[in-house]
Amino acid sequence: MTQTRIPVQFILNGKKTAVDILPEQSALQVIRDELGMKGTKEGCGIGECGACTIEVNGQAVNACLMFGVQLDGCRVMTVEGLAEDGRLHPVQEKFLAGHAVQCGFCTPGLLMSTHALLGENPEPDDHQIVQAISGNICRCTGYQQIFSSVRAACGQSDQGSVRENQDSKEERC
Amino acid sequence: MTTMTCIRPENLDEAVDFLHHHGPDTHILAGGTDLMVDLRSGKHHRPYLLDTSRIDSLKTVQISDDLSRLSIGSGVTLTRINTLPLIKDHAPALHKCSFTFASRQIRNMATIGGNVAHASPCGDTIPPLVIHEAEAVVANKDGNRNIPLLEMNKGAYQSALHPEDLVVKFILQARQPGFSDFQKIGRRKALATSRMSMAVMADKDSQGCISFIRFSLGACTPTPQRMHDVESLFTGKIPSVKLINQGAGLLAEKMVEITGRRPSITYKEPAVQGLFKRMIYPMVTWCRQ
Repeated sequence: MTQTRIPVQFILNGKKTAVDILPEQSALQVIRDELGMKGTKEGCGIGECGACTIEVNGQAVNACLMFGVQLDGCRVMTVEGLAEDGRLHPVQEKFLAGHAVQCGFCTPGLLMSTHALLGENPEPDDHQIVQAISGNICRCTGYQQIFSSVRAACGQSDQGSVRENQDSKEERC
Repeated sequence: MTTMTCIRPENLDEAVDFLHHHGPDTHILAGGTDLMVDLRSGKHHRPYLLDTSRIDSLKTVQISDDLSRLSIGSGVTLTRINTLPLIKDHAPALHKCSFTFASRQIRNMATIGGNVAHASPCGDTIPPLVIHEAEAVVANKDGNRNIPLLEMNKGAYQSALHPEDLVVKFILQARQPGFSDFQKIGRRKALATSRMSMAVMADKDSQGCISFIRFSLGACTPTPQRMHDVESLFTGKIPSVKLINQGAGLLAEKMVEITGRRPSITYKEPAVQGLFKRMIYPMVTWCRQ
């Protein structure tokens, strides 16, 4: 059966992109399968792990929960858009230096959550950092290195514990 | 894979007109965060996808001139609820619930209209809307009608909405209460679906007695509940540890009346009391200030 594809246009990593998609396709399927950009990962597929996090109009979203049609007219950024001219983005450099990467599956999502945070708030406090990355699950690196690297990317020292800040977060919420 | 057709109306009239003709065959897409999960699970599949995300009139937030009514468009995202001063000032428990609603990524997409229309018992925006005696303004081809929030759900995941209905906005009785809070229990700290949630707002008189209180329980009952008995117990009194313990016991009793003694009650009975005490204890100090 021939399916009706619909045209969608958006800016992907600074470049105008036009693609014909199926209405039920997720933004993740559009990015990975239609456009062949495999940096964005699919973990749970139901918005719980954050591996598929991308930025849409400067905001972090789960690409697996977003319909491809919702990308139309938007400014979209994936992990491939971070490095420029072969040079890593400062956030990526801090993740490398801080050993925030082990298997690497959660890394693209965490990088995008961090990048979106810095776009919204260049000087976040520890609580805001924890809130911003709490939608990203990592099963092997351990959150301390990730938290410290995000902190470093925000221009802070690598002191401070993710656990302390999670506890204070619970009190506040 | 089955076929689906996407409709992208630019305004409310176009959307309502489409639903008039194809309502039962249409999925309404607001933020999409629940719909995508439902479609993926193969729960249901309808031929049309109506994308309401570009209808600007669904995204407005306004307060009436006399500050008595706050109107929140159904397409307003949880992130905007979290950041708009108007909501923080006039519906503070709703603002508070937006901090722990799912994750940052989901808050950036999910809408208040979708959260209510999905009719999940664990919708976090529902108890705060209930304490503000909110009504949903629902449009269809016959015009608009208002549905009180407490009548929106007929049961778990059973909405009172008809297939040709579109939720346009919510009208809240705006209030800047002296005390307000939202609390929930989930299975983990972040990204947790509520197993139990509650919202309260209250004011006191010059003697420190509670002069106004609204309290709502969510998630642990099939439909949202406003707990009038708990409100009556506190009205006219200065909160004390004894009164709060009494209120917690009454709340648990009322919850069991609704849910019956299911196996989970062994957990829920003490949990609902604990959560209530955690939320209400600060009132003791507040009323004595």
